[in-house]
Amino acid sequence: MTSIAVTEAWAEAPMRAFVDDARVQLAVLLHTSGQVLAQHGFGKRMDVMSACALAAAIHASASELGRMLDGKPFSGLHYAGRRKQIFLGVAETRRGPFLLLTVFDENASLGLVQLYFGEFRARLSTAAPEPAKDTTPLNEHFEGELNRNLSALFGRS
Amino acid sequence: MRASPFAELLAALIRQRGVTGALVVSEADGIVVDANVSIGLKAEVLAALSASLYRRARLAAAAAGYGEATFLQLEAAQGRICAVGRSDLVLVAVTEPGANVGLVRMEMLKGLQGGALG
Repeated sequence: MTSIAVTEAWAEAPMRAFVDDARVQLAVLLHTSGQVLAQHGFGKRMDVMSACALAAAIHASASELGRMLDGKPFSGLHYAGRRKQIFLGVAETRRGPFLLLTVFDENASLGLVQLYFGEFRARLSTAAPEPAKDTTPLNEHFEGELNRNLSALFGRS
Repeated sequence: MRASPFAELLAALIRQRGVTGALVVSEADGIVVDANVSIGLKAEVLAALSASLYRRARLAAAAAGYGEATFLQLEAAQGRICAVGRSDLVLVAVTEPGANVGLVRMEMLKGLQGGALG
């Protein structure tokens, strides 16, 4: 069974379906601020932290570039390397936008990833509960929460 | 605006009776390169899944020692999906159950041998 580590339970089913269907190697669901909600395939907490920080930065840059060029933020990004490819997409929910960063190889394709990302967005939107009262992404307890989340993801204290 | 290099090939296929869609798809990416499909046919979904199917069939044929896959035909209750490929491009035809597969196959292989896919 595909292993999905989550910090918020509602994100697990959509993530599991996406990873199973699209056959991606790595996937991480994060808030636009870089806070992680769920991940598959990462072995080290530092890798997840770096990936989330970079994905949030890429999203912020791409959104701004999209606004400048097209009047609205770009909503998806794809980069093809020699053997591995990355896809970064935005999923809107009642809790605000979330980012899905995924890495795939020749067992998947951009078309398949985009296809199943469309289904993922719909599932995530349905699964997302009403926003919590305090939805400030970077509150005063951010660092402590981040460490707790990473411990939950990797099963370490 | 210039027509795509595949427009003629796709038009010849879609003219066949019972053919509801014809697409040229990138095998590696599963992305539509050019398509001529009936209303209601989801070209992007079809492209992603049929490219993946063709790719795996091609790899399976090679793994079995049967050489290059020449023609892939998937029969379903409501119709057929046919595919041929070359140079990372896959030509896909979607047909109704009553379509003459022989003619469709001939037209697809003609396009392949004529160098329409590169």
